[in-house]
Amino acid sequence: MDIFVNLTIAGLSTGMMYYLLSSGLSLIYGLMGVLNFAHGSVFMYGAYAGVLVFGLTGSFTFGIIAAIVVGAIVGYTMERLVISRVYGQHLAQILLTTGLMLVLNELIKIPFGSNILPAFQPEALQSSWQIGEIVIVKYRIFLIIIGLVVATILNAVMAKTKLGMTVRAGVQNPEMVQVLGINIKKVFSFVFILGSALSALGGILMAPALGAINPEIGLMYQMTGFMVVVIGGMGSLTGTLFSSLLVGLASSYTAYVYPDAATAVIVIVMIVVLLIKPSGLFGKGAE
Amino acid sequence: MPDKVILKVKEMETYIGQYHILQGINLEVHEGYVTVLIGRNGAGKTTTLRSIIGLTPPSKGSVEFNGEMIHGLPPYAIARKGMALVPEDQGIFSQLTVEENFKIAMYKEDKQTLDRKDWILDIFPDLKPKLKLKAGSLSGGQKQMLSISRALVNNSKLLLIDEPSKGLAPIMVETLANAIKQIKDHTTVVLVEQNFWLASEVGERYYIIDDGQTVQEGVMADLIQDKVLQKRYLGIGTKE
Amino acid sequence: MQQIKTVAPSVRKSLMNNWMLQIIIVVILAVIPFITGRPTQNMLILIFCMSVFAMSYDILLGYTGVISFGHAMFFGIGAYGISIYLANAKATMGNILLATLIALAVSMIISVFIGFLSLRVKNTYYAMITLAFAQVGVILAEKARHITNGYDGMTFRVSSVLMNKMLFYYIALGFLVLSFIFMWKFTTSPTGRVLVAIRENEQRAKFIGFNTLRYKIISTVVAGAMASLAGSMYAIHMRFVSTSVLGVAKTIDALLATVIGGMGNLYGAILGTGIVNFAGEYLSKLAKVHPIFERWYIIFGLLYILIVLFAPQGVIGLIKKITNKIAAKSVKR
Ligand SMILES: Nc1ncnc2c1ncn2[C@@H]1O[C@H](COP(=O)(O)OP(=O)(O)O)[C@@H](O)[C@H]1O
Ligand SMILES: [Mg+2]
Repeated sequence: MDIFVNLTIAGLSTGMMYYLLSSGLSLIYGLMGVLNFAHGSVFMYGAYAGVLVFGLTGSFTFGIIAAIVVGAIVGYTMERLVISRVYGQHLAQILLTTGLMLVLNELIKIPFGSNILPAFQPEALQSSWQIGEIVIVKYRIFLIIIGLVVATILNAVMAKTKLGMTVRAGVQNPEMVQVLGINIKKVFSFVFILGSALSALGGILMAPALGAINPEIGLMYQMTGFMVVVIGGMGSLTGTLFSSLLVGLASSYTAYVYPDAATAVIVIVMIVVLLIKPSGLFGKGAE
Repeated sequence: MPDKVILKVKEMETYIGQYHILQGINLEVHEGYVTVLIGRNGAGKTTTLRSIIGLTPPSKGSVEFNGEMIHGLPPYAIARKGMALVPEDQGIFSQLTVEENFKIAMYKEDKQTLDRKDWILDIFPDLKPKLKLKAGSLSGGQKQMLSISRALVNNSKLLLIDEPSKGLAPIMVETLANAIKQIKDHTTVVLVEQNFWLASEVGERYYIIDDGQTVQEGVMADLIQDKVLQKRYLGIGTKE
Repeated sequence: MQQIKTVAPSVRKSLMNNWMLQIIIVVILAVIPFITGRPTQNMLILIFCMSVFAMSYDILLGYTGVISFGHAMFFGIGAYGISIYLANAKATMGNILLATLIALAVSMIISVFIGFLSLRVKNTYYAMITLAFAQVGVILAEKARHITNGYDGMTFRVSSVLMNKMLFYYIALGFLVLSFIFMWKFTTSPTGRVLVAIRENEQRAKFIGFNTLRYKIISTVVAGAMASLAGSMYAIHMRFVSTSVLGVAKTIDALLATVIGGMGNLYGAILGTGIVNFAGEYLSKLAKVHPIFERWYIIFGLLYILIVLFAPQGVIGLIKKITNKIAAKSVKR
């Protein structure tokens, strides 16, 4: 029982990090059709920026802010400099974001090398609560709460604001949004910045849970992020949240029983979903 | 006062990918009239409208709207100059509510715009009880009405409508005809229409497009008389 | 209007159909073992194998417009097919052939499955799903440590005939030439032309009446099969296989080579493989002297981005432009 509770908490907290990573991936793809292969790199940059600033200032809050700022800047720069040149050309987009991934993953090694960098939890969250047999790690709960807060805010923005309305409309029909007099490029930039900032936030929050970071975590988590959005349905935030938690829990339980099978289990879930509903659990019908 | 030409398209040519779809489109749309574009399936009518509003930008020729050259501008900028499009597939955002479909189209939410919306809802009263519903739940005819209403909400000078009668029941087509007659007192209309009844009911001037070119123009009343022309370009009169 | 355009017809005319040039290149390559040392020969053998791998990648990327991040999986199946078989059986020619064929069959079956799973949704899904499958492949190979010796890799013996590097050089060269001819025939066949039509405008290809999914799957199977063969040749050459043959990095090598060389004409993939390997070797040597070059991979990354943005025809395209200019000048005179 205690193990089950612990695994569930671990799975939910990891799932929330997947959500931070994948929501941007899903929105960017849903709205602009861009499959961003550099998205995981932004996650990794968020982790490095956050860990570095946390180490320098001793304030985890500053670390989080630094990660978000760096993520937003990297995202905006990529979008303006490279990706905005090839909207509508799917092949060129993947090729270019892959190139960005290669460059970003190498650039980080100039100051930090390719070895691991230890990442610590903020002191206040290092301990855990003990309820009978059950040990609850505070940091995990913190992750779940942050994830819920972000998900709630994101949903409110999407549901209530004109910008959110435009994003939802754009996911379905970006041409029509333009015809209604809205400069969709501005919306694209906004979503790119938002998605990158979220990804970077996921990076810094995940880092202490991992204990150490290295340049490889970008592509690793991105792969999981892809599977999350394929399972949940591209462009659907609800689908992404559901699927993130599903994947988080599934890998947490599997990892306990047979650690090596965790990735394989996610792949199998993805295969099953693709066979039954190719557009994903919450996706619109396949185009 | 002589008619003002609000839209003037000269020798417009458009490529989609490597295909030369439009090969010389010439149009003069007079303010306050309904101009109908007719022509066989695949003739290039939809592409003509899409090129005018910038969705498939023309590679040659010019498009003058309200005294300004607009070809080469992005679609949102053209729309902001006072042009609206009701696309062939209606372009309804099915995940948004009917109300939100209006809202997203509004440039301003001032009294004028809101009054106009009320006026539109009087023309299409069917939409009134549906405002809070997802637009995806509307019937085909209602979606068409929503699409036209949405295009009217900003007091646009020119309304481009692409085959609104497509897939509608005959009774709906009549409703549509009445609606367009009410609208045309407020805005100039370019109507792509294959349904000859609707075209002749509301149309005042016509252009025939064939193989990506404008091949005939004139007054609608003349076309209604000219069976030869109808047969040649529209296949009317031959049993299919 | 219905006529289907193939890639860069002028590139073809000036370079490709010039079989004289092709023969000259092959003859030069055939003479090289007599004038160079062992390291260069080994390097060239490697480039021959990797060129076939890159060309197979070009069938996906350049001809079909589909990106894979797991193409190395098929290369790895070919390599592990040889290594596992030969680690457990006598290294006769018959066994080597058998191992190659078994790996080939496995690769083809898996590529049908992945192709069906992802390509019926969208081409972009192929990129994501191949990445996931390749990762599972790496994990499998890592975990089956008792068979593969994981990341440390496994060594094995091949038949003594194949140990003769001089002879193997010609076998590898022959493999490159035959593979090229096969893929060239494939891409210029009616099926290949449909693939190009799909790449140009899938909607239209569908409209004309082609079952585009079927053609795309054929493309992934041919590409997977050729990658598998390339992997088998690679394994025979190296007599050593580790999990790195399956990883994303291997696939990205092929991607870089294809894009830098020029996609959609097979020649670019060969040229690109040569450039990437020789430049990589040169730069990593330079890095030992000047530490600035330690991150030489960034240069490739940037070069690659610039090529995608400004010279989508790659180095082959640039060469064509230059030769055309020279030709135009000489005509003026
Ligand atoms: N995206 C596209 N790619 C290739 N051809 C297209 C595309 N869109 C339209 N066409 C072609 O352009 C021609 C004109 O189409 P369209 O303007 O839709 O005609 P209409 O509206 O008169 O029926 C047709 O032959 C059609 O096949
Ligand atoms: Mg049409």
